[in-house]
Amino acid sequence: MISTLRERFNIPPRGEMRRWFFAMIDNRVRIITAGLSIKELRAIMRGDPPTEKPNPRYKVITTSFIMHLRPRYYQAASTRFTHTFRLGWFTMFFFIVETITGVILMAYYIPFPDNAYESILIIESNVFFGELMRDLHRLGAEAMVIFSWLHMFRTYFTGSYKGQRTFTWLTGVILLAFTAWLSFTGYLLTWDQLGYWAITVGTSITESGPVFGPGLNIIMRGAPDIGAGGLLRFYLQHVILFPLLAILLISVHYYKVAREHSISLPAPVEEGDMEKDEKKKHTRRIDLIPDLLTHELFLTALGILALLAILYFGWFDSPLETHANPQKTPLDTKAPWYFWWLQGMLKIDPAQIIETIMGTIGIQVELSQLLNSKFIMGLIVPPTLVFILLAIPYIDRNPSRLAKNRPFAIAWGIAWIFIMLALSYMGLPQYGIETPAATRIIQDLAPEEGLGPLREIPHEELVPGIYLLADYVAGEDLCPDLAYQPRASEGDDYTVYGCPHLSEVFAEFAERLLLAEESGELPFLHAYFLIEDFQPNVKRVVPTVNWTDPDTGQEQTYDVDFFLHEDGRREE
Amino acid sequence: MKRVQLEIVLGTVFALMSVGILTVMAFDEKNRLAEFEQSQRAELIEFGAAVYEINCTSCHGSHAQGVDFVAPCLRCEELFTTRLEDIGWDGGLEDYIISVVTTGRQISTRPAEFVGGGSPAMPTWSEKLGGPLRDDQINAVAAFIMNFEEWALNPDAIPTPIEEVAAVDDPVARGFTLYNQFGCGACHTISRLSAGIVGPALNGIATRAATRVDGLSAEDYLYESIVLPSEYVVEDFLDNLMPPNFVDLLSEDQLQDLIAFLMTFEEE
Ligand code: HEC
Ligand code: HEC
Ligand code: HEM
Repeated sequence: MISTLRERFNIPPRGEMRRWFFAMIDNRVRIITAGLSIKELRAIMRGDPPTEKPNPRYKVITTSFIMHLRPRYYQAASTRFTHTFRLGWFTMFFFIVETITGVILMAYYIPFPDNAYESILIIESNVFFGELMRDLHRLGAEAMVIFSWLHMFRTYFTGSYKGQRTFTWLTGVILLAFTAWLSFTGYLLTWDQLGYWAITVGTSITESGPVFGPGLNIIMRGAPDIGAGGLLRFYLQHVILFPLLAILLISVHYYKVAREHSISLPAPVEEGDMEKDEKKKHTRRIDLIPDLLTHELFLTALGILALLAILYFGWFDSPLETHANPQKTPLDTKAPWYFWWLQGMLKIDPAQIIETIMGTIGIQVELSQLLNSKFIMGLIVPPTLVFILLAIPYIDRNPSRLAKNRPFAIAWGIAWIFIMLALSYMGLPQYGIETPAATRIIQDLAPEEGLGPLREIPHEELVPGIYLLADYVAGEDLCPDLAYQPRASEGDDYTVYGCPHLSEVFAEFAERLLLAEESGELPFLHAYFLIEDFQPNVKRVVPTVNWTDPDTGQEQTYDVDFFLHEDGRREE
Repeated sequence: MKRVQLEIVLGTVFALMSVGILTVMAFDEKNRLAEFEQSQRAELIEFGAAVYEINCTSCHGSHAQGVDFVAPCLRCEELFTTRLEDIGWDGGLEDYIISVVTTGRQISTRPAEFVGGGSPAMPTWSEKLGGPLRDDQINAVAAFIMNFEEWALNPDAIPTPIEEVAAVDDPVARGFTLYNQFGCGACHTISRLSAGIVGPALNGIATRAATRVDGLSAEDYLYESIVLPSEYVVEDFLDNLMPPNFVDLLSEDQLQDLIAFLMTFEEE
């Protein structure tokens, strides 16, 4: 009976069991690793040369689908850290992080205005590791944008867009645009004030276009204003259309690198005059398996650790403002920071600039009717810039990649970085936008969104009463009779006397108002803080400023009601 | 050690550290979820308070204390104890509030006590039914009203409101605040300020008041209309609709402020 089984399953006689058993395991390992034996794996770990001929490490690359996407080797100098800084690699890494976390988020997200915001709250409050997934997705998105920009600058400065690599550069520029568009479409999905208004302002640029502008705007928004239709369009672009397009284009982009021209050699190695031996050293092959692959696994571990550490130490927190409200334009609409340069550009009025320039040479022109600045700066200039980027390999016909041979290209690149930074600075929400003094002061105290100093006052210190500016004495505590024990947060119990936080916030409020009064912005100033118990655990705090408008002589009031629950968020 | 080996070792260390961080996070995650939920409820209530402040004070009073003859108190015992039974509602209170606010009330269930805005007594609030509020705003305002429970069951805990208006040194501005606080706008129309229809419009009242009753100056007439509404009943309007108890609710100074405010509305 046993012998029939032996025959049936090809099991060898007793004496050879051990060998047969190892052979079977070895066979399994070869199947899983697409060609590497146990011995081979051991050799890899120990850094020994291949154990068989032909080199089984190359075999993997032909048998495995995933591995066949990779090259067999790079030349040593191309793999120098200081040549690529692994920027393209990390861009891909973040793209994969985005895909994985995105699929998980998709399981909970509902792309409909009634539910979208709530589903984000549910992810954060009811899904195990939900906040982590959201933070990873958001952080990964910002990182991917940063790394694709840096990667572009790297290939620009090393002159790696020349010759054979022209097409790779072209696909790269389009990938840059895809990356930006992916993050832009994702911005709307939280359906909070931040995303809603950033996208509303962003899409409104198309409206200024002639003839098809308004039509384009409607196609993007799904209706004159962003609503259910717009959200669904953005969602589908964000989770299906552009990820697929990006995968396709990344494949093309990488195929060129892996199969056609490889990663460029550093220019001094390629063009510099070097001893034969020296050159040989720099161009010797570094195999994908094991050297590059272990390096990449190492980078993966590093990347994941960096992401987790940033989140663990609380250095990044995904923003979430209040529910989108089409009726209420926020005081400052913020584009995502990587679009600040565009927002900054929109603050430039070319008609005015030309008028002033012509004015200085004595010619009076009236252009503001002719030149719509939103149209020019929003619809003409950015596509032109993309076009110039695309055209760089054709504009720059200089065959040399050595920095010293291309001073103009290098200077342009550096100038370009500074221009982007300057434009981004102009794009800051505060830049060039004037807010009345009273509004700015109260908003700084308690911004429409986020926390602000008022929220950081411990609940106990919000003692009901009216605190008049007229009674303000610098350095005086507003509630000398108060003594309280801060809510058991950390450490021992201790007692706070008076209300230091409230007094500090009020002092800030008072000092800024008095300055504004002195400068003539707020004549006949009269201001106060009202604090009252509105509900058992909710305080109502109303900073109020009264003044007489210097131009009209009208009395003005600016006040905002803030409701603070004792369990509300007090710190990030 | 060769580079490959170094990277394998370091990579393993990093991976283990990541697992460590995840483990620490996982142990804390239950806590974090609970905390988040608590602060989220708190923020919902804060948001609801703001929604209330903008939409509901004109009828239900600045502090949800209710306005006599206009709309009921929303922080009083009745709503939290007997009201559901009286009206025959089977579900919970929060659902009742959401439902009433969503649809409004065409006809008051207590017309003798609360007329609200007449017909409808309370307008429809839900965006879906043509009102101004989104679902999340209605949920928030309901959470806000529910948060009154502690005070409703123990009215002694309710503090006396702070005389906010006293701090403003302009009587007209103070009067306007009182006008809102005491729900005058629920019954009276003043262009761009309020749209009540139960009582006469108050546009141009400063001019009209001077001619209403022989021998009474405009100020005196206004004083009488507020303190003793039944002394002179405006034509086409019903007596006994304007609450007679403002004399108890408003101090002498407050009455003067209200009159100063009304005196700014002259016939064009
Ligand atoms: C035009 C005046 C008016 C406004 C504005 C108004 N209400 Fe009402 N409300 C009423 C009246 C009148 C009733 C009582 C109807 C009745 O007794 O049947 C009422 C009843 C209610 C009830 C049910 C109370 C009970 O005892 O059954 C709730 C809850 C309520 N309102 C909430 C609100 C909220 C929240 C807002 C603001 C979004 C609001 N109301 C704004 C007039 C108003
Ligand atoms: C419940 C509805 C209601 C409320 C609330 C209300 N009123 Fe009236 N008011 C009326 C009605 C009805 C009349 C007309 C009948 C009358 O003269 O008594 C009136 C009349 C008046 C008049 C006389 C108007 C004229 O044309 O002669 C004044 C002034 C007035 N109200 C002021 C106020 C002020 C101020 C408040 C808030 C403190 C207020 N009312 C609150 C219903 C109301
Ligand atoms: C989604 C975005 C992108 C991904 C995933 C990506 C990925 C990569 C990878 C993995 C490489 C191999 C070399 C390296 O790691 O640096 C590479 C090379 C290259 N990329 Fe990208 N890239 C992206 C965007 C871009 C952009 C925006 C540009 C330029 C406009 C660009 C231009 C190039 C060029 C010219 C090379 C060849 C470099 C050389 O040979 O030295 N890529 N890319």
